[in-house]
Amino acid sequence: MLKYSFRKTYLRAEVTGLADSSPKPEVPDGMWIKCGKCGAIVYSGDVRQNLYVCPKCGGYFRIHAYRRIHMLADRGSFREWNRVMPVINPIAFPGYEEKLSEAKERTGLDEAIVTGQISLQGNACAIAVCDARFMMSSMGHNFGEKLTLAIEKAAEDKMPLVVFACSGGARMQEGLVSLTQMTKTSAALRKLREAGQVFISVLTDPTMGGVTASFAMLGDVILAEPRALIGFAGPRVIAQTIGERLPKEFQRAEFLSEHGFVDAVVERKDLKEILSFLIRTHKSNPVYPEKPYIPELPKKARSADRPAWDTVLLSRKSDRPGAMDYINRLFPDFMELRGDRHYADDEAIVGGIALFHGIPVTVIGERKGGNLKERKRRNFGMPMPEGYRKAVRLLRQAEAFKRPVICFVDTPGAYCGVEAEERGQGAAIAECLRAFSGAEVPALSILIGEGGSGGALALATADEVWVMENAIYSILSPEGFASILYKDAGRCKEAAGLMRITASDLLSLGVAERIIPEPDPADAKNVGEIAEYMDGRILDFLCRKKECSPAELIEGRYQRFRRF
Amino acid sequence: MFHKIMIANRGEIAVRIIRACREMGIKSAVVCSDADRDGLPVMLADEAVCVGPAPVAESYLNIERILSAAVAIGADAIHPGFGFLSENVKFAALCKECGIAFIGPDAGVIAKMGDKERARNTMRKAGIPIIPGSDRKFNDPDEAFKEARKIGFPVMIKAAMGGGGKGTRVCGREEDFTGDFLIAREESVKSFADDSMYLEKYISSPRHIEFQILADKNGDVIHLGERDCSIQRNRQKILEESPASGLDPAIRRKMGETAIRAAKAARYENAGTIEFLLDRDHNFYFMEMNTRIQVEHPVTEMVTGIDLVKEQIRIAAGEKLRFRQKDITLRGHAIECRINAENPREKFRPSPGRITNLHIPGGNGIRCDTFIYNNYEIKPFYDSMLLKLISRGENRAEAIAKTRSALGELIIEGPDTNIDFAYELIGHEAFGKGKINTAFIERYFPEYL
Repeated sequence: MLKYSFRKTYLRAEVTGLADSSPKPEVPDGMWIKCGKCGAIVYSGDVRQNLYVCPKCGGYFRIHAYRRIHMLADRGSFREWNRVMPVINPIAFPGYEEKLSEAKERTGLDEAIVTGQISLQGNACAIAVCDARFMMSSMGHNFGEKLTLAIEKAAEDKMPLVVFACSGGARMQEGLVSLTQMTKTSAALRKLREAGQVFISVLTDPTMGGVTASFAMLGDVILAEPRALIGFAGPRVIAQTIGERLPKEFQRAEFLSEHGFVDAVVERKDLKEILSFLIRTHKSNPVYPEKPYIPELPKKARSADRPAWDTVLLSRKSDRPGAMDYINRLFPDFMELRGDRHYADDEAIVGGIALFHGIPVTVIGERKGGNLKERKRRNFGMPMPEGYRKAVRLLRQAEAFKRPVICFVDTPGAYCGVEAEERGQGAAIAECLRAFSGAEVPALSILIGEGGSGGALALATADEVWVMENAIYSILSPEGFASILYKDAGRCKEAAGLMRITASDLLSLGVAERIIPEPDPADAKNVGEIAEYMDGRILDFLCRKKECSPAELIEGRYQRFRRF
Repeated sequence: MFHKIMIANRGEIAVRIIRACREMGIKSAVVCSDADRDGLPVMLADEAVCVGPAPVAESYLNIERILSAAVAIGADAIHPGFGFLSENVKFAALCKECGIAFIGPDAGVIAKMGDKERARNTMRKAGIPIIPGSDRKFNDPDEAFKEARKIGFPVMIKAAMGGGGKGTRVCGREEDFTGDFLIAREESVKSFADDSMYLEKYISSPRHIEFQILADKNGDVIHLGERDCSIQRNRQKILEESPASGLDPAIRRKMGETAIRAAKAARYENAGTIEFLLDRDHNFYFMEMNTRIQVEHPVTEMVTGIDLVKEQIRIAAGEKLRFRQKDITLRGHAIECRINAENPREKFRPSPGRITNLHIPGGNGIRCDTFIYNNYEIKPFYDSMLLKLISRGENRAEAIAKTRSALGELIIEGPDTNIDFAYELIGHEAFGKGKINTAFIERYFPEYL
């Protein structure tokens, strides 16, 4: 065996003492760190470069407050507010002051929240960032005070506010004083709203307790980092109380998104762009472009020359372009905002915000889906009550920031089922009707496919309703009409002919103002052309309604529906 | 001088470096994977540290484990060999941060020369001729196509972070460009985790002539002559020789001076290689710089009499260069054949296995650098090179004769090897006449492509 046959060639260095004099190599402290999620040892430089995301497992590290600010701020733009606050011990809790100084020394922070202002991609905004290293970012008087001062200053200086929330909850050592911070901060947000400024709340890991139950969940837009733990009661407490195992991924950001409580789960690398976009789309007094020249619209649709039933089939064709086909072309920077803040995010209704020729708009659409898998996910375009509640929520946001709303209607009808009734399908639609008819911003609805009864009307209560040449709008489906009237659903063709549901009919009944022409029935090839046509028309609508006051809009809409 | 060097490599080069350490009285420590516990480097080194299981990503490329090992055993220098982490910027930087000398150039230099685009720009600014090509990187085929038309077809599409011939494709016709670009880009992503490509004018059948450089910490640079590495299969070198046969002495002088200027422009330190392409009209162009000791370094050692690995160690330890340019003379002619465990008749498919019978030739002017021994089991996880056979003769003809004789004597039974193929190659008439360029294999041994 070769192994032991080789002879060494050096004198034992230990004897000559040469080895001891040279400096020993050592790994500098902090060069390697352990990922809290996957346990792998990773190089800290890689983590830092990767925005504090583990390069091995993609797990998110918690970020120190100042680092978070510098990751977002334009270089040199950060001005801190209220850096040092007087130390207070409101209920004279023993040992609290020592604990505070220990935390201050260890972290270099004065409190668990850092506030100030920055420029984010050129947009001035106020910022507040929580730091979990300081007493688990618990909220006590100074935390609440710093945040409230920041809100008030943002309102005064008319700046948007971005808050990065994380917290274990209220600071117990300050007793009830901590609890009242919840109301103090929540109430202060009203001033920001009155100043017409947006409050964007970013929920990071972990956001629990009193912080979740106050300002964190009051964002005009609520974002969350992937897999962040977000909730009110702690998972262990819940598990103990109910004596059961918790569902998988309980209280994670994705769970919250499914249940309708966050607008979007945003990856750290996309955060800056998205915050910049949200700030820009919430700015007031946009500059409107010149009113475009548009050609006259047809008073009659070609669908009038054929049997209504043929048009019904066209409106339901599976390859007919849906809401997203138009939204993607008309609003290329569209950002989806999810959830109804009560129960869930209904996938049959898509809503969000975009810049249309520089004008911030809210866009809402009913979505059927493409392939079979997607259609099942979107419930074939039949919204649940949470979908309508999402539409109302988005409308309220649009009103707060004076954004026009544009709706794309395309549904066989509101979903008909036990759960829909349990959650108040009727009440949800009614709320839509009330909200839209009283909307303080211009509202436009475009029927792009099937206008299925109440489910469609909920999103077609607008200043103007436009209908595509091959779309239909009906009180109920021709099949349903036939079974009730003729006791025979097979006579739907006849029924369709009588019901007067096609574009020309709607125009002459006064239900719709305009017909959007389809040279050939809309499909993937000509959808671009049709969208271009809509583009000029929508811009014209917005320019016309720009000068109307909210009162004028509401009265105009009232009269429009009053005459039926 | 260092008291302990850790060798972060395996196989034949690890043995080479360990031998240099032994001769200099420096303690040697080598890393190994689970699969290499029975390797010759482990037995020959004074210490060995197992740094992980067989797959390279978990052992020879695992920076965290290798650095921990080096710190744990108190190594004051690391020699990375070639391949693996030898040109890894992060590794070089981290060694320095941990107070361990990296035997090679500074991390910043590796970064600059490792990015082929930046390297070309550096050379262009220094007035060194470069192959006409793009002055920026592309990952979009349509934008790259516009540039390709400016350069003129045929064009070479190369991976910006590439090496070893991977991620490179020649495109002869405009119609084929997009397809070729996408294929090359995909290979680049797979091999180097990067999708940026650059373009070069394709030079037909050039000679690949490279110059060995030594530079010390004071900025003094010398070259040790050239090596002709034109004999390649799919851009992988098979055979190298020094000096380049039939190279006009005036051009050799010019190229040598240019190589030194290039190394100085790169602020180089330690051993490195400047690669040139020489076209049919005797124009030469900088192609790339290799910032490590190379596989074929023995041919330079044989004709100059200088031990390159020892010089690397000395330079890294802060010593001045022991030679000036006028002290360097190339005497005689050396040829190196790479012997791999592969089957040339089956598209050079690698062929691991146990070595059942081994006889290594010797004699005047015959050198074999290897790590195999009788009964050794070749592992399937790593490259297939087994042995380098280097011969040195008074002139090229003698070197060829010695190589033939030694190849005839060399016996490796067990795995398939390319010994017979090398034998045919070295005996070919065109090779004997020195008619070499990079199209040699394509022209005379097309059945092996």
